[in-house]
Amino acid sequence: MNKALAALIHEQVKGCRTNKAYLLQILRKIQFSCAHIPADAIEQLSAEFKISPPKIMALIEFYHFIHYQPRGHYDIYISDSIIDHMSGKNEITRYLCEKLNVKLNQPREDGLVTVADTSCTGMSDQGPAALVNGLALTRLTPKRIDQIVEKIETNTALKDWPKAWFDVEDNIQSKGVLLNAEMQPGEAVKKALAADPLNSLAEIDKSGLRGCGGAGFKTALKWKSCRLSSDHDRYVVCNADEGEPGTFKDRVLLNSYAEQLIEGMTICAYIIGACKGFIYLRYEYQHLYEQLNEALHKRREANLLGSHILDGELSFDIEIFMGAGSYVCGEESALIESLEGKRAIPRIRPPFPVTRGYLGKPTVVNNVETFCYAALVIDKGADNFSAQGLSGFSGCKILSISGDVEKAGLYEIPLGLPVKNVLNLCGAKSVQAVQVGGPSGTLITPSEFNRIISFDDLNTSGSFMVFNQDRDLLENALNFTHFFMKESCGFCTPCRVGTKLICDLADKVAAGQGARLDLDSIKQLNHVMNKMSHCGLGQRAAEPLLQTLEKFPEYFVKRMTDKDYQPSFNVEESIQRAIDIVVIQDNQKG
Amino acid sequence: MITMAKARKQRKTFTIDDREIPFKEGETVMQAAAKAKIYIPHLCFNPEFTPNGSCKLCTCEINGRKTSSCSTKAEQGMQVKNETHELTMMRRTLVQMLFVEGNHYCPFCERSGNCQLQALAYDLGMTDLHFPRFNAKRNVDASHPDIMIDRNRCIFCELCVRASTEVDKKDIFSIAGRSINKRLVINSKSGDLKDTEMKATDKSAHICPVGCIIIKGEGFKTPIGQRIYDKHSIRDVGNIRPDSFIEEPSQTEVEKPVEQKKKIKVASCSLAGCFGCHMSFLDLDERIIELLEQVELSRSPLNDIKSCAPDCDLGLIEGGVCNTENIEVLRHFRESCRIIIAVGSCAINGGVPSLRNSIDVKACLDESYINGIGVVNPKIPTDKEIPYLLEKVYPIHEVIKVDYFLPGCPPSADAFWKILNDLLDGKEPELPYDLLHFD
Ligand SMILES: Cc1cc2nc3c(=O)[nH]c(=O)nc-3n(C[C@H](O)[C@H](O)[C@H](O)COP(=O)(O)O)c2cc1C
Ligand code: SF4
Ligand code: SF4
Ligand code: SF4
Repeated sequence: MNKALAALIHEQVKGCRTNKAYLLQILRKIQFSCAHIPADAIEQLSAEFKISPPKIMALIEFYHFIHYQPRGHYDIYISDSIIDHMSGKNEITRYLCEKLNVKLNQPREDGLVTVADTSCTGMSDQGPAALVNGLALTRLTPKRIDQIVEKIETNTALKDWPKAWFDVEDNIQSKGVLLNAEMQPGEAVKKALAADPLNSLAEIDKSGLRGCGGAGFKTALKWKSCRLSSDHDRYVVCNADEGEPGTFKDRVLLNSYAEQLIEGMTICAYIIGACKGFIYLRYEYQHLYEQLNEALHKRREANLLGSHILDGELSFDIEIFMGAGSYVCGEESALIESLEGKRAIPRIRPPFPVTRGYLGKPTVVNNVETFCYAALVIDKGADNFSAQGLSGFSGCKILSISGDVEKAGLYEIPLGLPVKNVLNLCGAKSVQAVQVGGPSGTLITPSEFNRIISFDDLNTSGSFMVFNQDRDLLENALNFTHFFMKESCGFCTPCRVGTKLICDLADKVAAGQGARLDLDSIKQLNHVMNKMSHCGLGQRAAEPLLQTLEKFPEYFVKRMTDKDYQPSFNVEESIQRAIDIVVIQDNQKG
Repeated sequence: MITMAKARKQRKTFTIDDREIPFKEGETVMQAAAKAKIYIPHLCFNPEFTPNGSCKLCTCEINGRKTSSCSTKAEQGMQVKNETHELTMMRRTLVQMLFVEGNHYCPFCERSGNCQLQALAYDLGMTDLHFPRFNAKRNVDASHPDIMIDRNRCIFCELCVRASTEVDKKDIFSIAGRSINKRLVINSKSGDLKDTEMKATDKSAHICPVGCIIIKGEGFKTPIGQRIYDKHSIRDVGNIRPDSFIEEPSQTEVEKPVEQKKKIKVASCSLAGCFGCHMSFLDLDERIIELLEQVELSRSPLNDIKSCAPDCDLGLIEGGVCNTENIEVLRHFRESCRIIIAVGSCAINGGVPSLRNSIDVKACLDESYINGIGVVNPKIPTDKEIPYLLEKVYPIHEVIKVDYFLPGCPPSADAFWKILNDLLDGKEPELPYDLLHFD
């Protein structure tokens, strides 16, 4: 092996004191430096960590962005969300592949470049988007592709590419209490620390704040349970994995409201009695890593983080952990597994993380937005927050709006706002359907536009995708269904096998081969997957296809055969191989 | 002193299908059920190990919500539903999923009759795969002198992983890949079992609920037909393996056939099959004469009639679908017969002919016509009369709609007799436990 790599690995291993939790972080570094994880690197890691090579390979295989097969020196991933498709993802990909003369997912012969698809990179407001060696590229156009190809062919280092290509805009379109708040760094922490932690907890409780990551669990209740756990070694984890296609609000918060986030985490630490926190940042947000680290550093300097914060009792520090590409890591117990440097398989719950989380210790996992709101509540008071809601709901929610709208971007809205008002806000016209909460969420028709954004009716992690009359909604269902199959961790039977069966059925319908009995199979599979899957991924994976079938049957009808039954495969395609062989042989005979 | 009444009051209970079950603090629903001799279907659970919760077969309705019972702690007053029609159907779907995901050829699997997956399929009344097969490409590891690993049959219960770490302290097995690419891997540098410390006496060599990890040379010690689940249902004896089962002599009774039925027209054919099912049909012996009073035979290899009457009541199809001619015949049967029964393993899951599914068509043809031993004048036949091979051999339910399935390799004459008599009686055909076999 090259000596530099061996030295890098050794230094990394030493740096983390052979703590296995850092294995994934080290693998990421090796990937960046060698475009793959070479066999001898695996061997060295195996020796230093005392983990067998197949286990390290199994870890590598689990995450999308690390590989033991070499990738190109420029490793490009094109965001494959339906919103990117709507802004021309397919054309862009085709053009890029053509120009570079590469096939999707296969490194070019000279090893210079690889182009592949990846799940939504969180840029639905500025797609089509891509990643190059982990860094985000947005608003791709054929012209930009030409320029990029030029840089690649001349082997220009990324640091010498024009900075503007990597610009990621915030696109904040409508501000509410949080996005508008003028908060002085340290103010909220100062307020919290001045009183008993129970006072802060009571304030959070009073505000009615609920989790913004999708499940909507009461934040105060979660923190209280953790506080009451018998083990005193406790952790705070910020879920910045933001993997739900169509969501990008955490990206903006991390970019422009990092102070509030850190503030919120620190207050949480004070309340539950934790001294260590993590931000689990998704791979796709690599571009935010440095500045986040800088923010942490600044706060340490200002005595707002680290030992004896503001010279008080609280000692608490935060470390950033980078993901390596996996949607299921957003599930809190899978995220903890990943933090521990393992394959991200969701755990059996209960016990929930609040009693047994990171390293088996009580752990609070919250979404980025939740922590930001918590800081706001402490700084400006519970009443200020809860007064925001409409028709009996408490507080605000940030939506990531994308698709067929005038202005895609962030909208902070009061909870309880009807969908039709949201559509007015963002300038959506001739809307056919809205997908609220991403592929895992709900597809709603115009007749449901009176439904309201709230934890009781339309619960959402923030994704709000709008589709106008010209869109073919089966395309969405196909895209979502394939997304779930690719992201299934494969742990439980209903999801592992079910996502594949559902994809095959969706493809069959799309190919014009669907028959009535296939629709029965979709319903049957949805029932089993929904009720029996181990985590939310499998539980929701068949919903997009089923909801499209139920709410927009016309997209099925126009493609379906009029038969009860159709074969599972295309006979013509299936005999093609045999025909080719016969033709070749006959030709050889002359 | 504790009075009896007080003791009863203190005893914690919950209900399973309205039966009161006592439990101790900390016990799971599954553990308490097992003590009370109530069978909750499962595959990845084993009382000796920490629960895994991945197979999901033990899902019950617990206080109205579907939850895995292996990982749910029992609570006072909890209401559990285990035996409902809905759960049976859902569990059957799960078993079918496991069958299509892997490559399960029970008729020539060493574990057949002792296999817990197969036993659950029997118990849940599964006769067909329902879904298309994945034809997954999986490796076999025969490198170890005493142990073989056939990954085609792995259901990812992770019992071997747990046994190897928790009991053997060797950590030989892991799971790699994800989604449908999940794999069982061996923790040795080469990835081969021979390069591990594995011994045939290890716990992990005797834990696999299916036929994935097997001890060489022992596969057919007990003949097929005389194995645990050939005689007992899994709900009666539980998830056990031959190594831990003490045989009790038992007698099986052959059912007496019912009489008087109206005459029906029956056709049969063999596609990619071996005619073994037809031979088994002939084992009806003198009962054939009785049957012929009720049955008029149309196209069948038994009478050599070559075309199927357009108004058949019943079509019996043996064999899988391997070429264009099979498709034609099959479609013709579907058009001509009111009811189609898939007969035997090949028709139901592709059987022996589908072993070629992991091999490219060209390689198959080359092996047969060019490189094969004893081939003279090597040449792939290209006559227009010869039907084209399909890329894969398919079970017939992937080509036409099938009404009933008669599993077995071959199905026994008694099974034929039962299913035909049910149909003649105008009943839904149903196979009793002793006639439901995949081997
Ligand atoms: C498949 C799956 C993916 C998830 N992805 C995310 C995510 O990207 N970000 C997030 O905050 N929560 C995600 N969640 C929800 C988390 O499990 C958890 O509920 C959340 O982080 C709790 O924080 P909150 O209470 O602040 O919402 C996901 C859940 C599932 C089942
Ligand atoms: S539901 Fe899917 S993602 Fe979740 S544990 Fe099961 S296989 Fe993994
Ligand atoms: S007997 Fe063998 S082939 Fe059949 S289900 Fe069991 S493991 Fe699979
Ligand atoms: S080899 Fe057997 S015991 Fe191991 S995971 Fe597969 S099915 Fe389970």
